[in-house]
Amino acid sequence: MSADHAPILIIEDEPNLRQYLSTTLRSHGYRVEEAASWEEGREKASRMDPLLVLLDLGLPDGDGLSLARTLKGEKPVPIIVVSARAREEDKILALDMGVDDYVTKPFGSGELLARIRVALRHAAEAVTPEAPVLELGDLRIDFTCREVSLKGESVHLTRIEFDLLAFLARHAGQVMTTSQILRGAWGDASKAQSSYVRVYMRSLRKKLEPDPTRPRLLITELGVGYRLKP
Amino acid sequence: MTTDAMAGEARPAPSDSPLPRGMVTVLLLPGLATFAGYFVFAWLGLADVVMLYMLAIAVAATQFGQGATLLASVLSVLSLDFCFIEPRYTFVLTDIKHITTFAFMIAVGWVICDLSERIRAQARQAEERERHTRALYRLGAVLAEGGSVPAIRDRVEAYLRTELERPLAILLRDPKGRLEFREGEALLGPGEQELAESALDLGLPTGRGTGLRAGAPWLMLPLYGMERIVGVLAVRTSQAPAQGDPATLLSPLAAQISLALERASLAEERTEARIRVEHEQLRNTLLSSISHDLRTPLGAIIGATSSLLNPGPESGPEDRAVFLGAIRLESERLLRIVSNLLEITKLESGPMALKREWSAIEEVVGSALGHLEERLGARPLEVDLPEIWVPLDPVLFEQAVLNLLDNALKFSPPGGAIGIRGWAEGAQFRFQVTDEGPGFRPGEEERVFEKLYRGEGQASTPGAGLGLAICKGIAEAHGGTIQAGNRPTGGAEIIMTLPLEGPFLESMPPAFNAEP
Repeated sequence: MSADHAPILIIEDEPNLRQYLSTTLRSHGYRVEEAASWEEGREKASRMDPLLVLLDLGLPDGDGLSLARTLKGEKPVPIIVVSARAREEDKILALDMGVDDYVTKPFGSGELLARIRVALRHAAEAVTPEAPVLELGDLRIDFTCREVSLKGESVHLTRIEFDLLAFLARHAGQVMTTSQILRGAWGDASKAQSSYVRVYMRSLRKKLEPDPTRPRLLITELGVGYRLKP
Repeated sequence: MTTDAMAGEARPAPSDSPLPRGMVTVLLLPGLATFAGYFVFAWLGLADVVMLYMLAIAVAATQFGQGATLLASVLSVLSLDFCFIEPRYTFVLTDIKHITTFAFMIAVGWVICDLSERIRAQARQAEERERHTRALYRLGAVLAEGGSVPAIRDRVEAYLRTELERPLAILLRDPKGRLEFREGEALLGPGEQELAESALDLGLPTGRGTGLRAGAPWLMLPLYGMERIVGVLAVRTSQAPAQGDPATLLSPLAAQISLALERASLAEERTEARIRVEHEQLRNTLLSSISHDLRTPLGAIIGATSSLLNPGPESGPEDRAVFLGAIRLESERLLRIVSNLLEITKLESGPMALKREWSAIEEVVGSALGHLEERLGARPLEVDLPEIWVPLDPVLFEQAVLNLLDNALKFSPPGGAIGIRGWAEGAQFRFQVTDEGPGFRPGEEERVFEKLYRGEGQASTPGAGLGLAICKGIAEAHGGTIQAGNRPTGGAEIIMTLPLEGPFLESMPPAFNAEP
C-alpha cells in the first residue's frame, strides 16, 4: 500500500483510541486522516474521498449509524464500524444497513487490519468483473460449472448449498447477516426462515470442514451471521 | 343466637312470647284431661282425676311459658270444678277445702314451669357457650393457616362476617402508625373512622356500650398485641346490649386475632431484616472480590508497562517480549472478568430474556473453541457431539461453554486433556465438560455454583468466582440444571442438562431435503 493512495478516514472521538488507530495504520503503510465528531467526519468524508472509513458508533454529536447511512448514500466507500456495543442486535442492524464489517472494542490490531484488507479487496473487486473461478486457500469454487473442490478433491454440493457457499465466498472475510444471506444467496428473504441458513451451514460444515467443531473456513458469528475465512 | 349473646343483645326466646303459640294445645290439654277424667272417675275416684289434671298442667308447664301455663292451669281447675266436683256441672263449691287443692294445682304448675324455664335457659346458655368455643376454635384454625398480614386479615374478616352475620372490619395500621381505611370500606363513614382512631389512640374500646359514644351503632375494639396495638376490630351492633359489657364477649376473639397478626407482622419484619443483611453481605463480598480481581491484573499491566518505559541497563528485547506478553495476557484476563461481572449483573437484575433457536450444538461449541484457541494450545481435546438440534440461546450457551472451558483450563494440569461431550437422553440434552485436574472436594459440588465461591486454596486464582454461577443461571434460564462431580477416572466433570421439548416458539427446522 503506497502512500499516494487515498487515506483511511478515522472518525473517532476518543483521542487515545484515535491515536492508537492512526499509529497502527500508518505503521502498516496506510495514509490516515482523522475526525473527532459526526460533523467533522461528514465534512472530511465528502471532501476527501477516502479509501475506507473507520467509524465509531459512539460519537458525541450524532448517531454513528446515521452517518454510515449518509456516507453510503453518497458513494460506495467501505465502512468498518468500531463500537463498544457488543450486542448482536446492534451488529445485525449495522451490517444489514450496509456497513461492511463490525469490530467490537476491545479488539486487537491483527483483527482490525485483516478486516480492513478484506473490505478493501471487496471494494476493488466490485469494480472489476467477477472472476469465474475463486480460490481461497484449499477451497476452489468454479462459478460457471458450479463445482467445488477442497484440496483438489471434488465436493458434491446441492444447488442450495452451492449458492450459499458462493455468496459467502464472494464476500470472503466479511460477516454476512442471516438476512443478507437469505437475500443474497437465495434471492428472497421473506419466504425462507433464518433457521434454514443454520441447517444448510451445518451441512456445508460437514462437507467442507475436516473437524466441524474446529472450523477453519466457515466461521459462525453467533447471533449475527457467517463469515467465510479466506 | 350465639351471635346476639356474644354481642350482648338478648333476643327474646320463643317461649317468652306474650301470645302463647300452640293456643290449641293449651286448650286441648285440659279438654283431654276432662275426657279421660270421666273414665278415671268411674273407676278410680276424684283424687286420680285431680292427678290427671295435674298431668295436663305439668305438660303445659314444660312446653309453654308462665302465661300459657297459668291459662292451662285455670282451665284445668275450672274443668275439674265443673265436671267432677259436687255439685257437678256447676262452679259452686260446697267444700271450701277444694279451693286449696286448686291453689296447689296452680302453684305446682307455676313451679314446674319455672323449673323448665331455668333448665331451658341453662341449656341455651350451654349451647351458646359451645358455639362460642367452636367459633374460637374455628377462628384458631383460620389463623393457623398463616400467611402475610393482609392475607390473614382478609381471611379472618371473611370468616367473622359469616360467623357473626354482621358487617365488620379489621383495620390495620399503616407505616405511619395510623389506621388504614381501604377502598370499599364504605361501611365506615368519617364518624366511624374517627371513632376507630379514638379507640387506637386511647387504647380502649369505643362506641356501643363503652365510655365514648355509647350510642353509636358500631363497636371499636383495639387489637392488643404483646408489644403494641396491632389494629382495630370494628363490629356493627344494632341494639343496646341486654346485659353485660359487649367488649368482654368479643375480646377472646380479638385477643386471638391480635396475636396472630402481630406474629405474622413480626415474622415479615424479621425476613426483611435478614434479606437486607444478606444483600449487604453479598454487596461487601462482591466489592472486595471485584477490587481484588481487578487490581491483580491491572497491577501486572501497570508493572509491566512501567518496566518497559524505564528499562534497566541490562534489559534486552527478550525482556520486552516478556513484559508485552504479560500485558496482553493480563488484559485479556481483565476483559473476561469484566464480561463475567456484566453477565452476573444481568442475571441479578431479573429473569434472562432467552432468544431461543434450534441450534446446531457443534456450531456453538466450535465458536467457543475458536475464541479459546490460543489458551487451548496443543492440549488434547476430545469432542463428541451429536448432530441434533437443541433449543437454546446460542449466545448465552456459548458464554456458558466458555466459562466451563475456562474453569477446566484453570484446573487442568499442563497437557491435560479436556473433554466436551453431548448426548440426548430422552427429552433432555446433556452437555458435559471434563478435565484431568484435581476434581472437586467432597461437599464442594453444590457450592461451586454459588456466586463468588472459590475452592480452598484458590483465593489467589484470578477470576471472581462468578463463572460457574453464570453457567447455573444460564442453565436455569433454559429450564435446565447443572451438576458438578468427580469422574471415576479422576478429574472433574460438569454436566448441563437442557430440555429438548417444551413450548418453544419455533417449530422444528424442516427436515433436510436432498436436492439437485
